[in-house]
Amino acid sequence: MNEKLRDLILTDIAAVLLGLILSGLLMLFLDKNPIQAYSVLFTSVLNDKYTFAEIFVKATPLIFTALAFAFTFKANLFNIGAQGQFYIGAIISVAMSLFLGDSIPRGLALIIIFALTIVGGALWGGLIGLAKARFKANEFLVSMMSTYVALAIMNYLLRTKLLETKMEYPQTDPLNPSVWLPIFIPGTRLHIGFILAVVVAIGIWVLLYKTPIGYRIRVVGMNPDAARLAGISASKLYVIAFMISGGLAAMAGFTEVNGVQHMLVQGFNTDIGPAGLGIAILANANPIGIIFASILFGALKVGGTIMGQMSGIPASIIEIMQGFVMIFVIMSYFVRNEIDVRREKRKLRKVVGQ
Amino acid sequence: MNKPLVELKGITKYFAKVIANKNVSFSVNDGEVLALLGENGAGKSTIMKILYGLYKEDEGQIFMNGEHKHISSPKDAMALGITMIQQHFSLVPAHTVTENIILGNVKGRIDWKAYEQKIGELAQSYGFDIDPTARIKDLPVGLQQKVEILKALYLDAHLLIMDEPTAVLTPQEASKLMGFVKEFTDQGHSVIFITHKLKEVMEVADRIIVMRDGEVHGDVKREDTDELELSRLMIGRDLKPPKKSEDAGGKDRKVVLSVENLSVIGSDDVPKLTDVSFDIREGEILGIAGVSGNGQQEICEAIIGAIPSKSGRISLAGEDLSEQNIRERLETGIGYLPADRFRDGMIMDMSLAENMLLKESFGDKWLKRGFLDHGRLRRYTEDIIKDYEVKAPGAGAMAKGLSGGNQQKVVVAREVGSGGKFIIFNQPTRGLDLGAINHVHKTILAERDKGKSILLVSTELSEIFALSDRIAVVYKGKIQGIFDHNDLTIEKIGLLMAGYNDDKGVQA
Amino acid sequence: MINLLARALMMSTPLLYGSIAEVYAERTGMMVTAIEGIFLMGAWGGFVVTYLTGNLFWGVMTAMLVGVLTAALYGWITVYLKQHQVVTGVAINTLVLGLSAFFMRVIFGIPITPLTIDPLPHIHIPVLSKIPVLGVILFQQNILTYIVYLIIPLSYFVLYKTSVGLIIRSTGENPEAVDVAGLPVERIRFLVVLLAGALGGVAGSFYSIGFLGLFTTNIIGGRGWIAFAICFLGNWNPRGAFFGALIFGLAEAVGIYIQSSGVELLPNELFIALPYILTIVLTVARRSFNVPAKLGIPYKKEN
Repeated sequence: MNEKLRDLILTDIAAVLLGLILSGLLMLFLDKNPIQAYSVLFTSVLNDKYTFAEIFVKATPLIFTALAFAFTFKANLFNIGAQGQFYIGAIISVAMSLFLGDSIPRGLALIIIFALTIVGGALWGGLIGLAKARFKANEFLVSMMSTYVALAIMNYLLRTKLLETKMEYPQTDPLNPSVWLPIFIPGTRLHIGFILAVVVAIGIWVLLYKTPIGYRIRVVGMNPDAARLAGISASKLYVIAFMISGGLAAMAGFTEVNGVQHMLVQGFNTDIGPAGLGIAILANANPIGIIFASILFGALKVGGTIMGQMSGIPASIIEIMQGFVMIFVIMSYFVRNEIDVRREKRKLRKVVGQ
Repeated sequence: MNKPLVELKGITKYFAKVIANKNVSFSVNDGEVLALLGENGAGKSTIMKILYGLYKEDEGQIFMNGEHKHISSPKDAMALGITMIQQHFSLVPAHTVTENIILGNVKGRIDWKAYEQKIGELAQSYGFDIDPTARIKDLPVGLQQKVEILKALYLDAHLLIMDEPTAVLTPQEASKLMGFVKEFTDQGHSVIFITHKLKEVMEVADRIIVMRDGEVHGDVKREDTDELELSRLMIGRDLKPPKKSEDAGGKDRKVVLSVENLSVIGSDDVPKLTDVSFDIREGEILGIAGVSGNGQQEICEAIIGAIPSKSGRISLAGEDLSEQNIRERLETGIGYLPADRFRDGMIMDMSLAENMLLKESFGDKWLKRGFLDHGRLRRYTEDIIKDYEVKAPGAGAMAKGLSGGNQQKVVVAREVGSGGKFIIFNQPTRGLDLGAINHVHKTILAERDKGKSILLVSTELSEIFALSDRIAVVYKGKIQGIFDHNDLTIEKIGLLMAGYNDDKGVQA
Repeated sequence: MINLLARALMMSTPLLYGSIAEVYAERTGMMVTAIEGIFLMGAWGGFVVTYLTGNLFWGVMTAMLVGVLTAALYGWITVYLKQHQVVTGVAINTLVLGLSAFFMRVIFGIPITPLTIDPLPHIHIPVLSKIPVLGVILFQQNILTYIVYLIIPLSYFVLYKTSVGLIIRSTGENPEAVDVAGLPVERIRFLVVLLAGALGGVAGSFYSIGFLGLFTTNIIGGRGWIAFAICFLGNWNPRGAFFGALIFGLAEAVGIYIQSSGVELLPNELFIALPYILTIVLTVARRSFNVPAKLGIPYKKEN
C-alpha cells in the first residue's frame, strides 16, 4: 500500500511538472522566456497576500465541480454537465439574492439562497439521473447537452428578466452587500465559500465511505450486476447520485455569485466544468484529494492570469496548462500500472529463483 | 506416427501476480491425440495460448518439425497449420456463421453468396447441420462449438488445440465430439485436448501430459496408466471426498421452498422456463442437472426475483414470495451464490469486509450511530477468514487479489450467513481447484445437515451425484423429471439432458 | 423554403463527416470523445492555412492533418495506454481549446480587425443544378457537400461488403475473436481512430472555411458532440447517420432562419439550443440500440 501511495504522489507530481514544462516551451513561440515567466509568477504569488489568497478563491468553485464529477463517477456515471449545473446554481443564487436584497438578516438570507440553489441544481441534475434510470438514456450525452441548454437559459434571462437596470450589458445589477459571502482574510477576496467547499468535500467523503447509501453507490458503480442481485436498486441510486452531483455543482454558482462576482455576467467561468473533471481524475476521485488538486488548478489559473499581466502571455495558456496536466495525469495511471506490474513480476521471479 | 510435430522446450511465463508456466517442455506427434490434463489454474490454457501466439513466452523455445519457430501472433500459428478453439468461444455473437468463419481470412470485396455456399458444403462434408447464414447468438452452445471447429477446418489446420471442449456438451454430444477427434487424427492430423476430466482422457487420448502449478508432472501413454495414477499426478496428494449422510430428506420433513408452475419469458420473447414445479424439504439438497443454458440460471433468478416470472408461485416456508422484490425475498432468509462470481457475486475492487456487507447494507445491523461500523465488520470478516481457511492477508485485502478458490469461499461464507432457511448454489465449484472444491462441498453438506434446504445447480454430473438427495433434469426450460439420486445412471441422465424422455421421446 | 432546405443540407454536411467518423470508430469499440477537439483543430488548421496561402485545398488538407494528429494523441492514450475514453477526450478538448487560441495569437498577433477569408464557393453542377427545387437544394452546394454524397454509399459498401468492414465490425463486437483470428486489435482501432480524425478535421474546417470564413474558439460550440450523438441515435450505421445529420442540419437551419428573420415569437436562445434539446429528447426517446458490444472498453489480454 505504501509503495502505491508513493507511486501516486510521485507520478502526479511528475505529471504536473511535465505539463508546466511543455506549456513553458510553448511560450517560446511568443518569444517569451518561460523561466522568467514562471519566476515572475512564483514571486508575485508568494510576495503578495492578495494574489496568494486568490488561489483559494479560484479553487473554491473547482472543488465543487470536481466533487460533482467524482460523485457520479463513483456510481460509474458520467456527469459531464457540471458546467450547466453551475450555471443553474448561479442563476438561482443571483435571482434570489436580488429578490431578497437586504430585506432579511445576512445569515438567514444566505442560508435561504444556498438551500434553494442546491435544490435547483439537484432538480436539474436529477432530471439527467431520471433519464438514465427511467429511460436508460446515455447520461454522458444528456448531461453534456444539458450544459448548452442551461447556457441558453442563462443568456436568455440575462437579456430579459435579469437584465441590469442600465440595460447596457447582458448582466445583472450588482448584489446588495448584505447578501455577499463574508471575507475571512481581510485585504483579500477570500470568502467563507472556500471553507464551505472544504467542509462539503469532507462531508462527501464521509457520505461515500462511512454510510450505507455511499457504500451502495460505490457498489452500483463497481458492479451493477452484483448490486442488483443483492437487492440494491441501481435506478434509484442513479437519480440520487445525480441529484447530489447537481447540487454540488450548483454550490459553485452560489459561491461565485455571492462570494466573488457579486453579480451575474454573461460568459463567466466557462471552464470550471471540464477543469473539475480534470481535478477529479488527478485526485483519483477522492474527495479529500480533490481539495488539494483544486488548489493546484486554482494556482494554475491565478498563475496564468499573472503571466498575462506581467509577461503578456495570452490567457489561453491556462487551458493549455490544464490540458497538458490532465493528459499527463491520465498517462500517469498507465505508468503506475506498469510500475506495479513490473514490481510484482520482479518479486515473483525472486521467489521462483530461490 | 511418432515423429514430433511440435516441441515446446523450457517455456516459462510470468503473469503480473502468478507464474503461469514454469520450464514446460513436451511434444506432440503426428496423428496423435495428446491430452493436457490438470486442475483449473494448472497452466494448461496458458501454455497453449503461447503455442497459438496469443501470449508471448518469457523464456523457452518452440520447434516445429525440428525447426525453431517464432510464433508471435495467431497469424503465425495458423500459417504453420495450428489453430485453437478457446474455452470461452471467440465468436462474434451478433454476426453470422459465415462472417465468423471468414473473419481475417478474406481480402477486399466479399462475395457473401459464394462464401456461404462454400461453408455450407464444408459443414455438410463433416456432417455438421449448420446454416451458414444463422447468427451465432441464435445457436445453442453445442452448435456454436461446431462453428469453432468449422473455423479450424476452413483453415486446413494440421494441429487442432481444444480447450475444455466438453464443458458445454451433454454426455452424448461429448462422445460424438470424441468420435470427430478420432476421425480427424486418423487423417494424420494432431489434436491437443485440454481437460480436467480423467474419464475423457482415458477415452480419447493417446498420450497424456499432466500439469500442476504451471509445471509438467507427468508424460505417460494411455495404455501405461490409469485414473488413479493420473489423479495423483494431477493433485499431488490424496484428497478425501466428503461423505454424505444418507438419512436426510425424508418425506415427512416439511417443505421449505415450493415452486409451482413457474414460467418465464425472456426479453427476446422466447420462453425460458415452462411450467417448472418442485419442492425442497428441510435438510434436503435438490440437484439440478442439465447442459448449461437450459434454464438453470432462470430458475435461480426467478426464485430470488431478479427476473420477472410470467406465471407461477414461489413460496418459502409457506410465505408467498411472488409479489416481493429481490431485497424482500433475500430478507426472508434466502442465500444465493451466483454462477458467475466475477459478474454477480463480488465487488473485485472492494475489500473482503466490504464484500461481506453486500447484502446487508440495508437495515441497522452494521450501523453505529448512523454510520457504518467498520470495526465490527472487520472483526466479523477476520473470523470468516479463519473459519473458512481463506488464504488472504486480512479483512482489508481487495477481493481481486485472491485466488478464485478463496474468493469463492468468501462468497459461500456470506451466502451461508444470509441464507437462514434456503440457499441456492449455482455452479458453486466452477473454475476451482480440487482443494477448494472439497471445502465448498463440505460446507454445502454441513448446511444441509443443519436442516437448511439447498438448491444445487451444476453442469458437473459428478458433483450432482455426490451431493444431491434428489435430482431434477432440465432441458429447454422444462423439467424432464425429478428422481431419487439412486435411481439415475449416467446414461439415463445423459438422455434426459439431451431432451429424450422415456415416455415422450424427444421434446421439441 | 427551398433555400431553407439547401441551408439544412449545408449545415448537416459537417455533422455527417463527424458522425460517419464516429460510426467507423465506434464499430471498432472506440468512442472518439475527442471529436469536439478534432472539429476545433480542423476549423483552426483549415482557417490558418487558407488565410496564409489563399488556397482552400491546402486549407482542407491541413484540417485533415491536424485532425489526424489530434486523433493520434487520443488514440495513443486510449488504445495503447488503455486509459478511459471519456476522460481522455475531455482532457484533449480542453488542451486544444487553449492551443488553437494560443497559436492564433502566435501566428497573427492581436489583429485590429477580425481576420476573414472567402469561404468555399458554391459550385453549380451543370444541368443538374437546373432541376427545379431539387437542383437548388442538392446541386448548388460546395465541394465538401458533394463529397458527402459519395461517402455515405461508400461507407455502407466498406462496412458491409468488404473484409475491412468485417474486421471493423467484429472488433467492436468481440475483439477477442479478432485477436484469435490473428489480427492486431490495437492497430485496427488506432488506424480507425486516425481515419475518424481525418474526417472530423474536414468536418471542423467546414465551419471556418466552409461558410463562415472566420475562426473563433467557440466556432464549434458542441457540434462535435452533436455528431457524436448522431452516431448513437443513428444506430451506428451510415444510413442512420445520414438521416440523423439531416434532422440536426434542419434544426440548425431553422434556428438561423428564425433568428435572422427578425421576428421574435419565441426567444432566440430557444432556437440556438434546439439541436441540444433535440439530442436530449431523442436520446431519452430512442429505444433498442444496436450498441457495439465492447464500445468504450479497452482490449486487455494478459493479466
